[in-house]
Parts: sequence; structure tokens; C-alpha cells
Amino acid sequence: MAEETREGFEPNIVAFLCNWCSYAGADLAGTSRIQYPSNVRVIRVMCTGRVNPLFVMNALQQGADGVLVSGCHPGDCHYMQGNYYARRRFTLMRNFLEYLGVDPARVRMSWVSASEGSKWKEVIEEVVEGVKAVGPMDQFKRRQLNW
Amino acid sequence: MVDNAKLKDVAKEVISREDVRLLIGYRPGTYGFRARPAFVENSDQVDELIFSPACVSNLSSYLTLEEKTPLPRGVEPDLRKVAVMVKGCDSRALVQQLVEKAYDREHILVLGIPCRGVVDMAKVENRFPGVISGEIAMEGDNLVFSFDGKEETVPKEELLAEKCKRCRYPTPLISDLLLDDEVERFADDDYSDITAMEGKSTEEKWAFWEEQFSRCIRCYSCRNVCPMCYCEDCVLDRLKPVWARRSVDISENTVYHISRAYHLAGRCIQCGECERVCPVDIPLMLLNRKFYRDVEELYDYEPGIKVEEKPLLSTFSVDDKEDFIL
Repeated sequence: MAEETREGFEPNIVAFLCNWCSYAGADLAGTSRIQYPSNVRVIRVMCTGRVNPLFVMNALQQGADGVLVSGCHPGDCHYMQGNYYARRRFTLMRNFLEYLGVDPARVRMSWVSASEGSKWKEVIEEVVEGVKAVGPMDQFKRRQLNW
Repeated sequence: MVDNAKLKDVAKEVISREDVRLLIGYRPGTYGFRARPAFVENSDQVDELIFSPACVSNLSSYLTLEEKTPLPRGVEPDLRKVAVMVKGCDSRALVQQLVEKAYDREHILVLGIPCRGVVDMAKVENRFPGVISGEIAMEGDNLVFSFDGKEETVPKEELLAEKCKRCRYPTPLISDLLLDDEVERFADDDYSDITAMEGKSTEEKWAFWEEQFSRCIRCYSCRNVCPMCYCEDCVLDRLKPVWARRSVDISENTVYHISRAYHLAGRCIQCGECERVCPVDIPLMLLNRKFYRDVEELYDYEPGIKVEEKPLLSTFSVDDKEDFIL
């Protein structure tokens, strides 16, 4: 059964992108007609510092197979420090989810600047490949109950 | 161990002071060897106060639990101090609360108790089942149990609480009055339980935690007893947005435990209260200690040590590790 579902499995990836770098980077990838996997659903936030680590947990619970948080390179944050705070939070959250038995390939973080359309493609390809390898998220996904 | 006569003298002196309105300490419980919190408001009540290895609970939780009702117009708030007895581990909760500016330092009076360890009541009740009333004392490295007119001596390693076996700070880190001589550190933490857990495969880890979390009945005792969980509006109670639904199933339980543990990252001071009160014996300290160790390894930070320290997640360093970032 598991092998069957893994065959042709197309993961859902939720990506939290910062408005100033990664969102613009993804936009550049689009306007440059760079082809990248269409598994990613983008949520634009003003800064990675806005992303509560509980968002990751909530996305995984509501059916995402992987979560990507992407922002400006360290030192380039529009708000000077937002991505530094985010980095600490996500390091801890990722380690913790790994400790609970959630494969670390599901929780990714990247720095993509506004000019890195091609890096965005590489990041997405790697994330999708990683999630495909570990299969659908079924650990604490919210199940529909039939009452 | 603290001399109970001296403790009563100090308590009497403290509660008689003009600027102290309440003293929180321990008194004998009503069943078995247990002790329970005592709230002393005047000097007649100090005679019941004790300290023994049965005094397991962390009294610093009560400082933030007190309800602050709105005052009628013209009535001044009672700003007198609250005196609280703390062991080494409990004093770290006070330090961390002060780091987070939960209250002012001058609103509390800390009676420090240098502690050689407290017992794990579950182990004690296993060892001496059905004892209606008894007392525990510590003599050197032995615990002396007196009940039903007899005395039994047990080496303390057998019945000590797990947290005491890895206690790094037996002497309170802040105190206004120290009730006994300082105790030297007698144990250290090697995180062997965390390392063992991390060594398992992803499937084994999840199988373990799934079993643990599925037993959770969501009584929220672990949150309520925690000295660090004092938010007036808890994220787990909030209705907008609902982070964890109320239903008790593996998905919501996992989310509850992730949220609870994550909110203690860099804040948990390992008093072990959550695990002690858990009615279904979920090893919550395994979750908290994972963060504790990560924080220590990655950011060289130990919560609850220095009052001047900044909270971990509201600071950063440019050189933080980022080897997992693409």
C-alpha cells in the first residue's frame, strides 16, 4: 500500500516566503520562465521573523507534506534582524520535530535573495525531491472523522 | 538538611515583618509521606511549616498563579512582598521569571533552601505501600522513613527523584535568606536519555512518541503546574486562531505537546513538575530536555542562571549555526 502511494506521489509543499527577497526571487524565476516543480504553495509574509514555528506544525497537521521557510540572506533582512531570529527558532523547531520522528527533509529553510531566480528553482527541486523520498506526511496529519 | 526549628524561627521572623504579606512554604500532607504547600499569612501558622525530602513541589508557580482582581476605586494595591521557600531547582524558576520580567524583584522575598535531593513519591509508595501517615528525613546519604512507630533507612539513590540525580544547582541561585549551609554540587547531567532517543531511527522515534501522545487525556496539568507557563492568554486556550483543537486524538495531542514544549525552549529550568503531575506518565522531561540540551549546545545558554540575562529567543548571534539551511 505504502509503495503504491509513493509511486507517482506529488507532495504538497507550503512555502513561507519573505516579501522582500524570496518572494521576489520566486517572482523572478517566474518572469524568467524558469521551470520548477509545481508542488509548492506560496504564502507571502513580510519577513521570516513573522513566521511562528507553530505555523510549521500547523501546516504539517493540515495536510502539507513539507514546509519551506525562505527569506533574505543573513545581513540582508529588510528589517535588519528578522531572519536572525527566525534562524534560531527554526533550528530548534527542526531539531525537535526530528526528535519526535518527523523526517527533517520535511522542514526546510533557505536563503533566497530577489536576484536568485535560479537558486529558487534549485531549492524547490531539492525540497520536492527530499519530500518525495520520505513519502506522504501521515504522522500527525489531521484526519477527517466520519461521525 | 534544613533544621525545621530554625526554619520555623526564620519563617516567624519573616512573616512578622511589616513588608511581607504572605509566606509560601511546605507543610505535612494528609496522606502517606506527602508534603503540601502552605500559605502562611500570620505568625500563628508557622508551626506547621516543614522542609523534608518529601517537599517535591515547586512553589515558584504560585507567584504567578495568584489572581489579580480589579480593585475598587480608591483602594491601593497590596504591594507587600511575598516570601517563598525555594530549593535549588525552584530558584532557577524564579530567576527565569525575573529574566522575563514577570514581576519585580522587590515584590518577592526568597528563602533559599540548599537541598540534597527530594524523593520521587511514586517510588516511595511502591516501596512502602499503604502507609497512612509517615515522615521522611535525610541523614547523610540515607533517607529515614518513620511510620507506624518504626523507622527504616534506605540509601537515597534508590528513591531520589530523577531530576535530583542530575541536579547541577542544589544551592539556590538567588536568595535573600539562606536557611542552611550551601550544598556542593553532587551530580551532573550527561543527557544519556536524550542521546539514546536521538540514536533511534525516525520510525522508532515516532512509534515511541505516538504511543506516549495517544495516552494523553489533555488535562493540561503539565501546563498549569509549570512555573514558566504563566501567560494570561495561553496559545492553547486561544479561540482565534485555534492552534490545537479540543478533541483528544493523536493529531491534536501531538500538536499540544509540540506547542507546549516549544514554548519552553530556552526557558524550561528542569524542575520536573510537568512529569510529576502527569496522570498518564508521559515522559515530558524527555521533550523539555531535548530543547535544554540543544540550547546549551548550539547557543551556550542555560536558562534560569543569571537575572541579567536576556531571553534566548529574543536575542541572536550573527554566527549562529545554519548548516541545515539551503
